[in-house]
Amino acid sequence: MATLSALLPPPRNSRAGPWYLVLACLVIVVAVVAWSAPLFLTPGNLSNVAAQVTPLVITAIGQTLVIITGGLDLSVGSLISLTTAIIVLDLPGWAMVLLAIAAAVTVGTVNGVGIAFLNVHPIIMTLASMSVVQGVALITRPVPGGTVPGWISGAVNGSLFGLPAALVWIAVAVVIAAFLIYRTRFGLHLFAIGGNPNSALMNGVRVQRNIVLTYILSSLFAMGAGFYLAGRIASGDANVGTVFGLDSITAVALGGTSLSGGVGSLVGTVLGSVLVGVIGNGMNLMNVSAFLQIVIKGALLLAVVSVQRRKQIGL
Amino acid sequence: MAAPLIELLDISRSFGSTRAVDGVSLTVQPGSVHAVTGENGAGKSTLMKILAGVIRPDAGTIRLEGREVHFSSPLGALGHGISTVFQEFTLIPNLTVAESIFLGREPMRRWGGIDYPKLRSGAAAALARLESAIDPDGMVRNLTVAEQQIVEIAKGLSADARVFIFDEPTAALNSADVEKLTRLIRDLKARGKAILYISHRLEEIFALCDTVTVMKDGRHVATRPTEELNEHDLVALMVGRELSSFFPPRAGTVGEPVLTAIDLRTNAASPSVGLTLHRGEILGLAGLEGQGQRGIARALAGIEPAEAGRIEKTGRDGARHGLPVDAGVGRTLATGIGFVPEDRKGEGLFLDLAIRDNIALGVETGRPFWALAPNTTAVIGSMMQSMNIRARNAEAIVGSLSGGNQQKVLIGRWLSSGVDVLIIEEPTRGVDVGAKAEVYKLLRAFSDAGGAVLVLSRETPELIGLCDRLLVVHGGAVVAEMAADGATEHGILHSAIGSRQAA
Amino acid sequence: MAHTFETSSNAGGANHWVRALGRRLIEIPPAYFVLAAVLVAIALLNPNLMKPQVLLTFIRQSAPLGVAVLGQLMVMRARSIDLSIGGVFIITNYLLTSGLLGGQPVAMLVLVPLAVGLVVGLVNGALIALVRASAVIVTLGVSIILTGIVLFMSSGRPPGRVPDELRAIANARIDVVPVPVIIWVVAAIIVAVLLRTLIFGRYLTAIGSNPQAARFSGLPLPRIVVTTHVLSGLLAALGGVMFTAALGVGSVKFGPEIMMNSIAATILGGVTFGSGRGGVAGPFVGVVAFALLFALMTVFGIQEPGKLIVQGTVIAVAAIIYGMRTR
Repeated sequence: MATLSALLPPPRNSRAGPWYLVLACLVIVVAVVAWSAPLFLTPGNLSNVAAQVTPLVITAIGQTLVIITGGLDLSVGSLISLTTAIIVLDLPGWAMVLLAIAAAVTVGTVNGVGIAFLNVHPIIMTLASMSVVQGVALITRPVPGGTVPGWISGAVNGSLFGLPAALVWIAVAVVIAAFLIYRTRFGLHLFAIGGNPNSALMNGVRVQRNIVLTYILSSLFAMGAGFYLAGRIASGDANVGTVFGLDSITAVALGGTSLSGGVGSLVGTVLGSVLVGVIGNGMNLMNVSAFLQIVIKGALLLAVVSVQRRKQIGL
Repeated sequence: MAAPLIELLDISRSFGSTRAVDGVSLTVQPGSVHAVTGENGAGKSTLMKILAGVIRPDAGTIRLEGREVHFSSPLGALGHGISTVFQEFTLIPNLTVAESIFLGREPMRRWGGIDYPKLRSGAAAALARLESAIDPDGMVRNLTVAEQQIVEIAKGLSADARVFIFDEPTAALNSADVEKLTRLIRDLKARGKAILYISHRLEEIFALCDTVTVMKDGRHVATRPTEELNEHDLVALMVGRELSSFFPPRAGTVGEPVLTAIDLRTNAASPSVGLTLHRGEILGLAGLEGQGQRGIARALAGIEPAEAGRIEKTGRDGARHGLPVDAGVGRTLATGIGFVPEDRKGEGLFLDLAIRDNIALGVETGRPFWALAPNTTAVIGSMMQSMNIRARNAEAIVGSLSGGNQQKVLIGRWLSSGVDVLIIEEPTRGVDVGAKAEVYKLLRAFSDAGGAVLVLSRETPELIGLCDRLLVVHGGAVVAEMAADGATEHGILHSAIGSRQAA
Repeated sequence: MAHTFETSSNAGGANHWVRALGRRLIEIPPAYFVLAAVLVAIALLNPNLMKPQVLLTFIRQSAPLGVAVLGQLMVMRARSIDLSIGGVFIITNYLLTSGLLGGQPVAMLVLVPLAVGLVVGLVNGALIALVRASAVIVTLGVSIILTGIVLFMSSGRPPGRVPDELRAIANARIDVVPVPVIIWVVAAIIVAVLLRTLIFGRYLTAIGSNPQAARFSGLPLPRIVVTTHVLSGLLAALGGVMFTAALGVGSVKFGPEIMMNSIAATILGGVTFGSGRGGVAGPFVGVVAFALLFALMTVFGIQEPGKLIVQGTVIAVAAIIYGMRTR
């Protein structure tokens, strides 16, 4: 893959990043998995893949917004956990939803204000909030369990116009994000901030406000993923989200979005998330140990960031 | 005379205890080009940043067509019809040309989205008025410096600006693009715009401007129609001293070769270059801007590996070292080649560290990690004294020093390291007039003591005055060689362009 | 991020020295204030604990972390970060408790983990400095891989017990001072002296200040970054051995906690993230402060989640203080 990306010139007239690489990888991986595990292409398994991938797609979309500005949000994982913990609280539906939204907006605002206004490095800020949110999630739901309201389970496990609900969730997340990124001023300004925050400021872009908004959106997308996940596992679990912090970054980076900011695409993120999901599903079908899968996922992450050579050394 | 389009009244601004701008007033007429000039540090850039909305004044008022205006950002200033082309452009590489032109004031649709068709057509219209063929959908990162400047001007035109500020616009342009810019500015003037032109290049001021305002130490010195002045008067207003006193005497005799480049090709497409630098010599790379001088110098310094060729360095003891083109800074430095980059703050100095740390690095570099760091107190003390570095003591933070003193610290690092070749880019950029002469003297003292200096400069008069010998570079090749004594800007330009016609 | 301009540093006036004092105070790493506050709290709330013997027992628990922090602080001064410390602790724990090294002399029980730490540091350093991949992602990825390997090898079950010789060392005291604390203090002094006197320390300062200028000045930037990661890997492995010896049994749970604590203590100790400032004493005090803070919380019955919250808050507050200072 390293040589492949070296051969292809970066797209001249675009800031989408080399998302077509992940498309090529996805085709190859699907072919390999389908060939070695015939079960893969059965409708039952495919809808299973879709269901597995959905929370990752939703989280990674929020992560994409943050990474385009040149930031990083490590706190999405614990926020997903916290959301599932809130969902199984014994509260009326409206109160529970409001509480979940309030939690997400609070976390996003604290992250954003710390980073944009108080000059804290995104990694440190979100690492700190990850720790705090994890603590709150553990207090809210010390052991996995609880009852997920029926309407959430229905929205996750049912179908709409014959489509599995998972696809509807993904479609809604993609449409919202596509509108924000490609149609609004906010979206253009995200790329401007990622390209050069000082120049953006000189051109009247409200850099700080937009960064805060971005972290709030990232938290809200993670919250959405939390709702989906709660419906799927039918319980609240303060540790269920942990993997999504890193997985979402892997998916975004796989999709050609530059971790230095300013370059990225939604299609890349969706394809990247699907690739992560297909690899996981394929390994399950091939009876690869769950623990070995952790190792392979880590290696994949290393491979992806190694391909994204940057100018500077360090963070 | 028409009513002034813009008036600055009693503008003042201090940074800490220094008054960068001190009670300056200025008026600009529509349909005229008004130069603002002065030495580095005279306050002209600060004054323009105030007018551009980057900095707020501590006191004073700005009037536009007689009405007082306030703004707190460049976008706000643009809203009042004041457009600024900054020395360091504010364009963002990953946006398209059209997006850049409308960034911060995008045409909107009723439902809150950007009206992209309108944005594109508006950008195309602005570019068309400048007779530019730049593609509005192209990415800014693919533009040349000159094209970026045109996009900045188009930004002003599309906002229907009436006042255009140019901050040292020709600093990064080659002569063909300078000519194009001159035409553009004349065209803006013909359309009744008011243009403020900040520059310290006298020939441009006389060729282009109707009025000139001279600033010195943050104060207004004089405002005169350019036709009432000649270069000599203007220089006298700016500095109050003779130009010729700047440069130390040239070398009497020149020694053995110390650095030789053979068949050096900076990249696959460039022609091969050969040059020899001798002990006791200051050699200048002259020519039009961006003709490959920088690539040659950086290849010799090991900063940017060349494609092919050979570099030979002779040590003080007469030992010869062959350097492969991809040797890297560490190895070139070990053979005694020091490099002073143009971007002193970004690439040269450790701004948040003390003078001591910055200079001591020259002694420390090249040593193995596990070696004991040597005691450098004596070296640094004598270096600060002999170079006349003005600071409280060696613990002063380099970021708090003036440009001239910073440059001396950087040169001091290499002097203390014992290198015998200095490769220096733009030795006096951002250095005020008094310190300029000191920098020249330092370089000459270095070469007189058996060192050799290779100088790059956009300021051709500086090369002529400082160097012993000049190599004219064009299209990546050395096209002419001449003694600096007696060389003229005209002659250098002629040999550069003459070769282009021959090629 | 915002445009700021130099403000006067020598404004005169009667309150000049007050401001100077204020500036001095803000230069002191927050770790010292936290430590002072914790000691005061202990003295007021539970004076029984204010005995050297008791305090040192608390501090002993943090000696492994303290050793790892010595590596973390060097890495962070070189504008990188090491999030693989937890992974190194976990694999060290596995090596010592799985019986793989059964019957080996004590020297081997220390040397084998150190070799693993060296390899991990080399991989981290090579990917970060030579391939120029993001340090956060690389070291997190390496940590995940290490954890995954241990889970795979042990099939997810924590393995057996630590050899008795190691346990004995971990529990030994010289006079009242526990041996692990002595190891930690000695290691800290060595690191501090080396950073102060060796060329390596000067290079580290220069890189932290301006990596680009460091490269242009001929400093071997990649080699320095690799070296800091190798040192961090070694120190993490040593910390891992000390941690496992004190714990006595195998476990796969503590990795993230160690990683977070190492960053928290380093930041609290005044190593400014991404600007290369800071010394050895600050993070040392940071570790001590955390040790006593958590001990105090345990005494008051505050559980793991509460500690996570306090830890995250402390990191954020310390980082915000720097952020406002450097703005």
